[in-house]
Amino acid sequence: MELRLPTSVVGPGEINRLLRELAALDDFFLSAAARAAGTPLPPPRVTFMLEQAARDNKFNLLEEAHRDELKTRLQSVLERAPVVHISLAAEPSPRITDAILSWLRANIHPNILVVIGLQPTIAAGAELRTGNQIFDMSLRTHLQKQEGYLVKLIEGAVSGRR
Amino acid sequence: MNSGGLLLITGSILSATVAFIWLAWRIGKTPSLKDAKGNPTQALEGAAREDVEHIFNDEFREELRNRGRLHFEKIIGENAIFLQQDLRQTTTQLNDYMRSEITRTLQQEFKKYEQSITDAKQLALDSIEKTITTIEQQRGFLQQQLATQSEAQKAQIISRFEVEMASIINHYILRAIGNQIDLSDQLDYILTELEANKKAIIEDIKRGT
Repeated sequence: MELRLPTSVVGPGEINRLLRELAALDDFFLSAAARAAGTPLPPPRVTFMLEQAARDNKFNLLEEAHRDELKTRLQSVLERAPVVHISLAAEPSPRITDAILSWLRANIHPNILVVIGLQPTIAAGAELRTGNQIFDMSLRTHLQKQEGYLVKLIEGAVSGRR
Repeated sequence: MNSGGLLLITGSILSATVAFIWLAWRIGKTPSLKDAKGNPTQALEGAAREDVEHIFNDEFREELRNRGRLHFEKIIGENAIFLQQDLRQTTTQLNDYMRSEITRTLQQEFKKYEQSITDAKQLALDSIEKTITTIEQQRGFLQQQLATQSEAQKAQIISRFEVEMASIINHYILRAIGNQIDLSDQLDYILTELEANKKAIIEDIKRGT
């Protein structure tokens, strides 16, 4: 069964964070079992990302078997899911990240992981790098591709003034 | 003076001389009846001789000579006038002839000179026309060459300008917009581009996997 990754889980870094969080939960429950009666034990804080991942995949984080299963699937995703790098001109807001990630997971691969980078020189658009290829969807490349049309426009303007 | 005038003068002189001689001979030839010896012929001759001597004395002879001289002078004067007239006429004719000859010769020379000038002028005109034609050809060739070079240079400058201008505009746009475009505004563009490259991305990811 495929793991449904929430859009808050963007790339391998988030997967690793989830795994670390799950490990912390295991430690917490282990400590709770071994603690003396009446000893207070502060529960660990669970992130919204982990909560969402568990909720979306119907896992109960209080149960060890569910946590193990979740860890196994997350590990599997980390090892097998395709990873792409996307560079944007500015730091994307969560809404932008969510939109791009949703599209990629809906159209390319359900568990695709994205590493988001920053590249101001592209001005606008994005640059997507897969394992073997670079998809330059930046405004810079778009303008370069349109140079012929711009030259024709200039030619037309020059011819019109002659 | 023409030959008619000379003949007239010579004839007049000869006729006057002949008349004088004939008169003298007629007078001298009058017969005498008898001479002193009773010879009638000789007497007549002697009488006649005396008469002749009486009639044709020295005064008379002088008078005759004077008359003859005057007549001769008159004839000579008249002939001189004729001669002068003839001479004037001849001079006039000679002048006319000379004038006509000189005029004709001059006209011929002028014609030759004019022809020479016309030929020289024609040669000069031909030469000038050839020179003008050559210059026109050279000018046309140079003009064409200049126009070609000018067009080529203009095209090169325009082409370079267009290419450089395109790069400059692109660079300017990129610099101008910089980070000014919000990613929210770019989202549609990014998603459209992703959609356009969807197939290639899927294929590449499948290959990678």
